[in-house]
Amino acid sequence: MSSYYDIDDIMMEDEFVSVVFQVAANGVGLLDPGAETNCVEQGSKVELPFWLSHELQLRQAVSVNIPACFNQKTRKEIQADAACVDLRNRCPYFYELGCKIAPLVGDRTIGSFLLYAFTGRYKEVLSKAHSAAIAVAPKFLTLFTKEETHLYEAARSSMAAFKKWRLGGPRFERASILGRKRKPND
Amino acid sequence: MLCMSCKLGNTYSLLVNDSSSNRRLVDKLCLSVHWKLIPICWVSWKPPDRGYIMMNTDGSFLQARGDAGVLGSMDRYNSNMFDQVIKECSAHHLEFQSLMRKIQEEGLDIQTTRNADHFGAVIHHLSLIHNKRCLMAYVYNRVEIIQSLRWKLGPVLPQEIQEKLNYSEEEFFKNHSAALESYMSELELDLTVDMVPPKDPYIHVRVLDDIGDVLLSDQSPNLACHSMHFLKRTDAEQFISQGLMEELTG
Repeated sequence: MSSYYDIDDIMMEDEFVSVVFQVAANGVGLLDPGAETNCVEQGSKVELPFWLSHELQLRQAVSVNIPACFNQKTRKEIQADAACVDLRNRCPYFYELGCKIAPLVGDRTIGSFLLYAFTGRYKEVLSKAHSAAIAVAPKFLTLFTKEETHLYEAARSSMAAFKKWRLGGPRFERASILGRKRKPND
Repeated sequence: MLCMSCKLGNTYSLLVNDSSSNRRLVDKLCLSVHWKLIPICWVSWKPPDRGYIMMNTDGSFLQARGDAGVLGSMDRYNSNMFDQVIKECSAHHLEFQSLMRKIQEEGLDIQTTRNADHFGAVIHHLSLIHNKRCLMAYVYNRVEIIQSLRWKLGPVLPQEIQEKLNYSEEEFFKNHSAALESYMSELELDLTVDMVPPKDPYIHVRVLDDIGDVLLSDQSPNLACHSMHFLKRTDAEQFISQGLMEELTG
């Protein structure tokens, strides 16, 4: 369960999903740029952040559409070659959003699709993390979602820790908070 | 303290740079001033590894490119952004109240009415709650970092980190530090030392900065720059984590 203070969770809930209003709402014209008055009409299609769409759906005020990143086109691409799909561009919180949105839209295939995409990309993420040269900023990093980036970094740091353990080295180091070895007044 | 006079409306008021020392001074003198907002400086950075906390020392400002991003997670306290969100909250609150008043004026029951005004009010209410969550998370995550600073760097913060905190964060750090110290003195145990038991109580270190004469638990060496010493591990730990010494191995 995500925590109230979790910044990643907040960022994830800021992803936009498109909804259709089942009711009219006054005084919220800013939500619908096309509206002429300061209200949203019944039946209008609006892009809302997930946190708002979710709450409004619980009150049966809107119906949530499936976001574009879970559509048939993406599914076909994932089936073709999971590791080469640029998921970050589509939705940096692909898996987290998928988990939260599946029960709302009532699409039972999203769960298995997420699992398929993740297992397809998992091996790729780990093997790249272990083999990539440290100094080069790898190109494929731009394809990863947040979750996959964390995985990649975890694999990288455990590899670095293993190497350090094998070679030995000082037990204490300058606190990582202070950053690079440079004098503050340089 | 850099002060400028400026005309706001019909009254003259002080325009003061927003920094912790100025905030303290103004509090002490009970002045009413206008704070000059700190300009936001956008910097690209890479998040630190999980489990690590890094701070944005000035390095990444000077060389703001994505790969410099060693040091990321703590920026200067963004009072500008904070005030903006608070302003947005007040706007939501006003809208919310006016919609509620409208429902009451039409003689409808607030509890059961489900008309367009009700849903408008719901949206404003939810936005308020969401803004609150964002602000709380911002403060909370900074506080967690500040708390860990006491454990990693000791009771005195380096200048470049001190600058990033706002006034109440500094107060929090001082109080947390005092609470920890009183607890440790009650226990007669230093809790901030390394958790892994040492193989040898003494280690070789090289001094990286002029520290001068210090009084350690079993000796009082002169820690001049580049000199090497054989110190008790617990004494050396703090200097090493502050980057003033390095451990020699092999």
